[in-house]
Amino acid sequence: MYRYDEFDAAIVRERVDQFRGQVSRRLDGTLLEDEFKPLRLQNGVYLQLHAYMLRVAIPYGQLDPAKLRRLADIAERYDRGYGHFTTRQNIQFNWVGLKDIPDVLQSLSEVEMHAIQTSGNCIRNVTSDHFAGAAQDEVMDPRPWCEIIRQWSTFHPEFAFLPRKFKIAVTAAEDDRAAIRVHDIGLHIRRRDGQIGFEVHVGGGQGRTPVIATKLNDFVPETELLDYLEAIMRVYNRFGRRDNKYKARIKILVTETGADEFRRLVDTEYAAQTDAEKIALPQAEIDRIHAYFAPPDLTRKPARSQILETAQAANPAFQRWIRVNLHPHKQAGYASITISLKPIGGLAGDATTAQMRVVAKLAEEYGHDDIRVTHAQNLVLPHVALDDLPALYADLDGAGLATANEGLVTDMIVCPGLDYCNLANARSIPIGQDIQQTFADPDYQEDIGRLHINISGCINACGHHHVGHIGILGVDRKGEEFYQISLGGRADHHAAIGDIAGRALSREEVPDAIKRIIDTYRDLRTSAAEPFIETLNRLGHTPFKEAIYAAD
Amino acid sequence: MTSVRPKLKPETPKAITAWDTASGQTVWLSADGQWTSDMTRLGVFTGRAAEDRLNEARAQEHLVTDPYFMEVTAAGTIAGRETLRETIRAQGPTVPYGEVPR
Amino acid sequence: MPLIKNGCVVDNEWTFIDDSTDPDGTGLVTVSLPRYLQDVTHERTRNVTLGVRLTPSDDPDLLLPHLDHLPLIEIEFPKYTDGRGYSLAQILRRRHGYTGELRAVGHVLRDQILYMNRSGFDAFETARADLSQVLEALSEHSAYYQPAADGHPTVFARRHLRPD
Repeated sequence: MYRYDEFDAAIVRERVDQFRGQVSRRLDGTLLEDEFKPLRLQNGVYLQLHAYMLRVAIPYGQLDPAKLRRLADIAERYDRGYGHFTTRQNIQFNWVGLKDIPDVLQSLSEVEMHAIQTSGNCIRNVTSDHFAGAAQDEVMDPRPWCEIIRQWSTFHPEFAFLPRKFKIAVTAAEDDRAAIRVHDIGLHIRRRDGQIGFEVHVGGGQGRTPVIATKLNDFVPETELLDYLEAIMRVYNRFGRRDNKYKARIKILVTETGADEFRRLVDTEYAAQTDAEKIALPQAEIDRIHAYFAPPDLTRKPARSQILETAQAANPAFQRWIRVNLHPHKQAGYASITISLKPIGGLAGDATTAQMRVVAKLAEEYGHDDIRVTHAQNLVLPHVALDDLPALYADLDGAGLATANEGLVTDMIVCPGLDYCNLANARSIPIGQDIQQTFADPDYQEDIGRLHINISGCINACGHHHVGHIGILGVDRKGEEFYQISLGGRADHHAAIGDIAGRALSREEVPDAIKRIIDTYRDLRTSAAEPFIETLNRLGHTPFKEAIYAAD
Repeated sequence: MTSVRPKLKPETPKAITAWDTASGQTVWLSADGQWTSDMTRLGVFTGRAAEDRLNEARAQEHLVTDPYFMEVTAAGTIAGRETLRETIRAQGPTVPYGEVPR
Repeated sequence: MPLIKNGCVVDNEWTFIDDSTDPDGTGLVTVSLPRYLQDVTHERTRNVTLGVRLTPSDDPDLLLPHLDHLPLIEIEFPKYTDGRGYSLAQILRRRHGYTGELRAVGHVLRDQILYMNRSGFDAFETARADLSQVLEALSEHSAYYQPAADGHPTVFARRHLRPD
């Protein structure tokens, strides 16, 4: 994976010093909060409900043991022993004092980490497929281009004060695990006539106005990507709305301008770029960055592992974990494994200091030092030998990290909600816990199969409720928490925005309503092999809506 | 402004709450004009006096960030529409950290 | 309002006049873009040296025929969070090769000056920053990933200039 050279290190170090100066001017009053706020946001510092929150960047979800250990140290010292992994593959810490943040950033810089541009009206963390480099179905590893885009977008002087935040996601597989169609720019790496290029989607997003992205360009050759991105960014920077914060994303510009006209604006800008303006990324640099992501040296192994099969036969819980949490690897004898951070009744997406240290050690022992964060708030070890899975499972289980629920009903995406967030209208975490308890039985969960429930505590949709098969949105009615259910959302290559089912429910009503939806599915599916989302699409929403309100 | 809270009537008893700029802790203005993290010591204000105290608070940016009115009873306990939110601001998350039930 | 250019505080010799005001004879005067396009060939401004003040939504391409004899272009930042001025500056400098003075006016704060400078501004009219702060701001970074109007070589390029 990528390692900083002296330039990367200097850039991060200089930023820490710059922010240290800005913090000190804020604390002595020479910098007003109104002037300081965008600066602190561009360093990942939020003022949340009862404390500051620091959002640390994990570029395209990539960690290694040294980085994860440092995050564990920060969680221990500044949070209350936890870190929260987010839907953009980042990590958030609560309770870090502003006065301490420069020191935290200093500490992070020592392991090549930072909190640059994780908030603010700028280009945010580039996210990607958490199985990158291991997936059987990828055209190529998307991470090198994610790293190139990261560098290009870092401290871009023209795009630091955009109309609003800007999020880019990259996939290299048809099975889109990066949700590119609900991003401001979504890139799908393709191969055409032996050349690598990008299918470019623009103007997707969630929040108050969920929109599925428009395809802007079928194929931008890789050598032209950055210049093409510049053209899109400049059109957005110049013409995106600035009169209304809730109408300022590029998705609004694309829908209000019209896809064809927007494409024309981008093409015109792109064609107007002079040679002097072109980024002219040297092929040597493209090659240099790609070299960091060479596949790990995996010892050749047979496709079947006797050790694995024996262990499965001996331990049904382990067998279940293998059935549910294992993802096939491009190399025979290996697998990618999901470490679920959604234990029943736990804090969705959180890991304790101790758990982070366990994962770091296990990545060293069994995982070739490679750890990923998924946008579903779990962790992944992308490269594990099948032979090592029993030992890995035993260690994970000892640390409470072996919940066999990846992609199942209890593996929900849950935003922090009103327990943490200044923007929230309702709590999310306890609702998720209530639902988990309803479906705690592992056999029941497996029988239900793949089902994505996403929970957001407010309309900003950080829990991605619009693209959940079942989405839950917390709303405030005169100080009481209510929850609106939506059906039929999808974040994959068949991306779709869910439809609201009807009146909002009280907290007490939600778990049983979800159960009725799922009972209806189990009654009406053609077989256990038909996933929830396909039954829903086949039958339409009516039987499920009726089930939600059947208790009325 | 981070906080766009519902407008309270002038006669409604109010506390003035904010965040301690350096630490991010929730703080309240006491009757004698000090910022405190002890909720039992918050001052209760109404009318013009409340507006004046809020304006003074806004001028203390190096100490506190984003002060605003929160509704309280005359005795100084949390009241009104934002009760849950202000309770969480005072007491922290309702989901306790601790051992996850296995 | 202090004007900082090329590392010094300099006198501001220019006056901005709104569209309804006549220039009083001679001198250095900046006007809005629509007015400039009208007045640049107009008799009444024969003895006046005209500069132009762009608002964030103005189209800089309209100045293309005039850039050779335009000594000053001001770009307004109505609020420092309005980032359109950075694009206008980059277009004027890098696409159109403008070599005159490009001045940031309006809500110009110390912490945006480095990005402004990179985007092509060489002069800053700022009430909120003094010279030492501006110079400090300009030196906060030594390496840049992306090309910009300031012409600094990119990190991408610098990596491959070094001998092996």
